[in-house]
Amino acid sequence: MNAFETVAPTDGLSRRRSWLVPALILLLVFAALPALLAGFDRGYFYQIANLALIFVLLSASMHLVTGVAGLLHLGHAAFYGVGAYTAALLTSKLGLGFTVTLPLSGLVAALVAFLVALPTMRLVSIYFAVATLAIGQMLYLVMLNWVDFTKGPNGIIVSKGFELFGVSLSGRLAAYYTVAAVVTLSVVAIGRLSHSYYGNALRSIREDDQCADAMGVSTVRLKMEAFTLSAFFAGVAGSLWAHMTGYISPGDFKFSESILILAMVVVGGLGSLPGAVIGALLLILLPEGLRALGDFRNIMVGLVMFLSILLLPKGLLGEVSALRLVRRQLGAAWRNTGPGTGKGEGIGWR
Amino acid sequence: MKFRLLTLTTLAAAGIATGTAGSAFAADTVKLGYQLPLTGDTAQYGQDFRKAAEIALTEFNAAGKPFKVEIVFEDSRSDAKEGTNIARKFVDDKEIVGVLGDFTSGVSMAAAQVYKDAGMPQLSQTASHPDYTKISKYQFRNIATQAQEGPYNAKWMAAKGFKNVAVIAEQTDWGQSVVGGFSDAVKANGGTVAFSEFFNRGLKDYRSLISKIERAKPDAIYTGFFYEDGAQFLKQLQQLGIKTPVYSTSAAYSPKLIELAGGAAEGVHLTSNFLPTDPSPNVQHFVEEWKKRSDGAVPGQFPAQAYDAVRIMLAAVERAQPSPTREKVRDALAQTRDFPGVTGKTTFSADREAEKDLVKVEVKGGAFVPVAE
Repeated sequence: MNAFETVAPTDGLSRRRSWLVPALILLLVFAALPALLAGFDRGYFYQIANLALIFVLLSASMHLVTGVAGLLHLGHAAFYGVGAYTAALLTSKLGLGFTVTLPLSGLVAALVAFLVALPTMRLVSIYFAVATLAIGQMLYLVMLNWVDFTKGPNGIIVSKGFELFGVSLSGRLAAYYTVAAVVTLSVVAIGRLSHSYYGNALRSIREDDQCADAMGVSTVRLKMEAFTLSAFFAGVAGSLWAHMTGYISPGDFKFSESILILAMVVVGGLGSLPGAVIGALLLILLPEGLRALGDFRNIMVGLVMFLSILLLPKGLLGEVSALRLVRRQLGAAWRNTGPGTGKGEGIGWR
Repeated sequence: MKFRLLTLTTLAAAGIATGTAGSAFAADTVKLGYQLPLTGDTAQYGQDFRKAAEIALTEFNAAGKPFKVEIVFEDSRSDAKEGTNIARKFVDDKEIVGVLGDFTSGVSMAAAQVYKDAGMPQLSQTASHPDYTKISKYQFRNIATQAQEGPYNAKWMAAKGFKNVAVIAEQTDWGQSVVGGFSDAVKANGGTVAFSEFFNRGLKDYRSLISKIERAKPDAIYTGFFYEDGAQFLKQLQQLGIKTPVYSTSAAYSPKLIELAGGAAEGVHLTSNFLPTDPSPNVQHFVEEWKKRSDGAVPGQFPAQAYDAVRIMLAAVERAQPSPTREKVRDALAQTRDFPGVTGKTTFSADREAEKDLVKVEVKGGAFVPVAE
């Protein structure tokens, strides 16, 4: 709806706001927050800040596929896992450090995504969603059952923390700055991608892929690119997680994590990058903040999610309603496809 | 309005976070942390652990010691993210001198990375990963490992004349160690492993696995499962009319196994180090206390391990008096010798593994009955 407005702000106010808001956010992430963290000097707060940032990146990367391109993706955690496993294996088997594993994690996750995308990207609507579900499960089962290579359920100890060309960055503040820098750069990159003509081409797939196709937009290629790019950033997040915790196992990347990331994108608002960021912050900080409620905290988190969908169907800042998207995706499976109706024949493929 | 709602929620969350942070404490109170899954897929275990810990703690504090102990329970949902968050939180609290938990090895290992750097003693009642205690000198566990239980069961089955055995286990780090520890011992005793395979936890249909086992024609089946999966497996084995004897580990030792599997559990052999029917006073006392708090239900193996783990930790805190520190509690834990628990006597070896005596048990007439052979 307002996809085009976001690209070309016209009035003076928007133009001034276009640099003011990013500047404030940068100030917050790189000055105010670290000062606050250093003031408290509690490992717990650093931990939550880092974890929240990693999920901001995961949520932002899924935003590209699900929010902007409108493809329901149910296997995102698997690419997060591929990145984490790449980092862990490179560290434990070859002794490589974070400087090398960070880009490689992204590239390997992107490569895997590209390969699995080849046969699946012509699928549309709910069929695509089911395919991503299957991809996620397949990759999870590979991590779990290929014991010789991934050590299976035993997981891998990642003995090296963050570093840059051999300089250790594993101190509390240094680790925070490392995570913050990687996440900020990635989110800016995703922001540039989604708020551009390229992003609008992806939005055209979301709004009406057949129409986009007729206008000369190469929908299959765009879908593949979005899917692969999003896997790249998920892989980067995986590398951050592996080096931050020092131990990973397949349980960290199972289906429920994919759903958690999807929930972040939906609560924040489909199609909005700030929404994806806020959704991630909300769903990581809320369960921690509510620890005092004991066994009831998950109910509260569920209630917040339920109310946000009920009262804000577009999420906090969304462009499109999640319900509308799901209805359309599911609806496609039941559309009248009989011969002679002239529409929707062979809807599973395109 | 959207923004105001968001700000309010964030503020509320921040308020709660800081509110719980700094509460002053009397000097004669020692604090311990317990991280465990109180919600989520494995909540049934965590809830039991909390109950067991509360029994142990109430007794300890009622015993008229010159100091009191408080345990802070935190819910990890068996999620490594939450587990490491809790670990940081416990480490930040300078009054906490020792930590119990977590339930799964995965979360215990992730949290252990934090405790290792902070020098916080960690005692898990169930973490069975072979590398868990190797992480640092601060990791202890109160569970017989499969390196101990596997050979014990292999010897038992060999003595019964079962030379050719099938092994199945759940696909977890623990299941891996079940198959590893048992298969090596079988081969060392001159037996053969006819078939071995892993299944994913929570599997509903074991029929294809069972027919694969039967195709291999084993003398007996050795199984690594917990009671939920175990009950499913045994019921389907009975439905298919298979009479091959089944042996299992102490992890399946729970009254719920018989409750869920009914007659299908009849004749199953397994090992244990906790028998609720044991007449010794400390066991009977624990069973009575447990029944009072659980509508008359009898405790299984895991709650007993948790009860002992908490008491071992409390005894270490007592030995570390006056003014216990994390380092002193660690050293006191490492000195645990012949601790008289409900799961038998426990001694920590030099590599912080619990050495325990095992008991042979058979299901007869709907109950676990100890057997000599």
